[in-house]
Amino acid sequence: MNNDLNAQTRSNALLSMEGVAKQFSGRDRQVVALQNTDLEIFAGEFITVVGPSGCGKSTLLNLIAGLMAPSEGTVRFKGKPVVGVDRSIGYITQQDNLFPWLTLRDNVAFPLELVGVPEKERHDRAHSWLERVGLAGFEKAYPHELSGGMRQRGNIVRTLIYEPSIILMDEPFGPLDAQTRISLQETLLSIWESTRSTVVFITHDLTEAIALGDRVILMSARPGRIVRDDKVEISRPRDVFFIQSDPQFRRLYDEIWQDLAAQVHEHANH
Amino acid sequence: MQTIKNPAMPSSPKKTSKPLASRIFDGENMRSVQLGRILLTLFFIGTWQLGAGRIFETFYFSKPSAIIAHLWKELFDTGFYYDLWITSVEMFLGYAFGAIAGIVLGVALSRWEYVSRVVDPFLLALNSIPRIAVAPLLIVWFGIDMSSKVFLAATLVFFIMFFNTLSGVRSVNRAYCDIARIQGASERQIFTKVMLPSASSWIITGLKMSLPFALVGVIIGEFMVSSHGLGYRLNYYSTSYNTTGALAIIIFMMILMMALTTVVDKIEARLLRWRPSHLNAAENFKV
Repeated sequence: MNNDLNAQTRSNALLSMEGVAKQFSGRDRQVVALQNTDLEIFAGEFITVVGPSGCGKSTLLNLIAGLMAPSEGTVRFKGKPVVGVDRSIGYITQQDNLFPWLTLRDNVAFPLELVGVPEKERHDRAHSWLERVGLAGFEKAYPHELSGGMRQRGNIVRTLIYEPSIILMDEPFGPLDAQTRISLQETLLSIWESTRSTVVFITHDLTEAIALGDRVILMSARPGRIVRDDKVEISRPRDVFFIQSDPQFRRLYDEIWQDLAAQVHEHANH
Repeated sequence: MQTIKNPAMPSSPKKTSKPLASRIFDGENMRSVQLGRILLTLFFIGTWQLGAGRIFETFYFSKPSAIIAHLWKELFDTGFYYDLWITSVEMFLGYAFGAIAGIVLGVALSRWEYVSRVVDPFLLALNSIPRIAVAPLLIVWFGIDMSSKVFLAATLVFFIMFFNTLSGVRSVNRAYCDIARIQGASERQIFTKVMLPSASSWIITGLKMSLPFALVGVIIGEFMVSSHGLGYRLNYYSTSYNTTGALAIIIFMMILMMALTTVVDKIEARLLRWRPSHLNAAENFKV
């Protein structure tokens, strides 16, 4: 009976974590990066994960991406355990990591080249994506000729272009200045409004987490676990430039902040 | 002669930063730099010319006017062109064989970790042999014709290319490989589309560094035993105490090498235009 119920929820969630834990063994001690984590992510959700630095947020993403195997528990994607990397799970890192030897267009079209999409189609699709993020005209530029914000836009569209069913983002706007961040948040949201793909977005910035997410997940200081899981009821499309004055935003922000502050405090005392 | 530094540790193309001098003398200052260079050249040649027969013995050091006159005479001598042709062919073949073998083996061993670790000390040992010491034996093994010179040039080029290629493939940023893997690249695609392009800057830099060594190898070979070639001609002049002729050939070799290096630099800048420009500038500055 109980098993049947589990099977039922599994089939509904696009991605699920059941009792997942991850330990790293150092030279003389074990570090618990993540402990006893249960999480369900449904298709089309925009999930943001926020927590103090070093709380195992990146470990969570690496487990979902299949770059690491959990020490305990199972990560399931479409009901099947995740073993190794899978092209249907996209991953956008904090460092843009565009290939320096390829032009912006070829970087963006690279995932299509891997599966043998003809050059003409590749270029057309890369062009239309670059246009959507305001990079038309920079197709032939090499990464070193672009600003940090432009490279990060390129990094985002080179994952969107091959339409993975779930997109993981690890503090993608972390290294950018405040104005560039907001403008990229806006671009991301406007694209997401039209694609409604499933996103797991990690950030240390609570404002960003609430502004972007359908659900905000708060993680504790190490050893990391999920402390809160709040639905964000603010209607879409949202305006990231003015969302901070929204009363719902303020209420949720203050509520989560209480717990986040406690976690940051605890982390600092460790 | 053994000027080869340890090619096991080639200068990393990634780590070179623009020398301070070239940063300061960019732009309008460049004209004054060029003026300075012309003045230095004139001073050097002038001192040599005017001091010849007064300060320096012309028998030992000749003089610029005589050297230029001799060089002019050589340019109308078919024998000179034949020697130039022989040396060029030997140099080209040695460079091509050495480079191809070095790149192929470098790539192969970068993929084959076990073999690479086994043969590593042996390659180091081979490269530690002063090539000039083996030159006489090469004559015994390969005879006095072109093949011994080609082989000598190839061995010098080979090790530079081999170590550069190996380091290039090994120094690929792991994050690039992970990105490609997440995007669905097979191991083969990661190799051909990420590791090789990333290593290309090392390989191209190696091709540039090893070019002068191809000429060195050929000239040494020609010094040993030969009946043709620029090295033969140079050796002939110096053993017959014709310092003017010898210096003329040396200066010709210098000009030849500078011209080749300029061409290779242009090709390199074109192929590596994706690299941040200050890195390319630093490479050019060294020449």
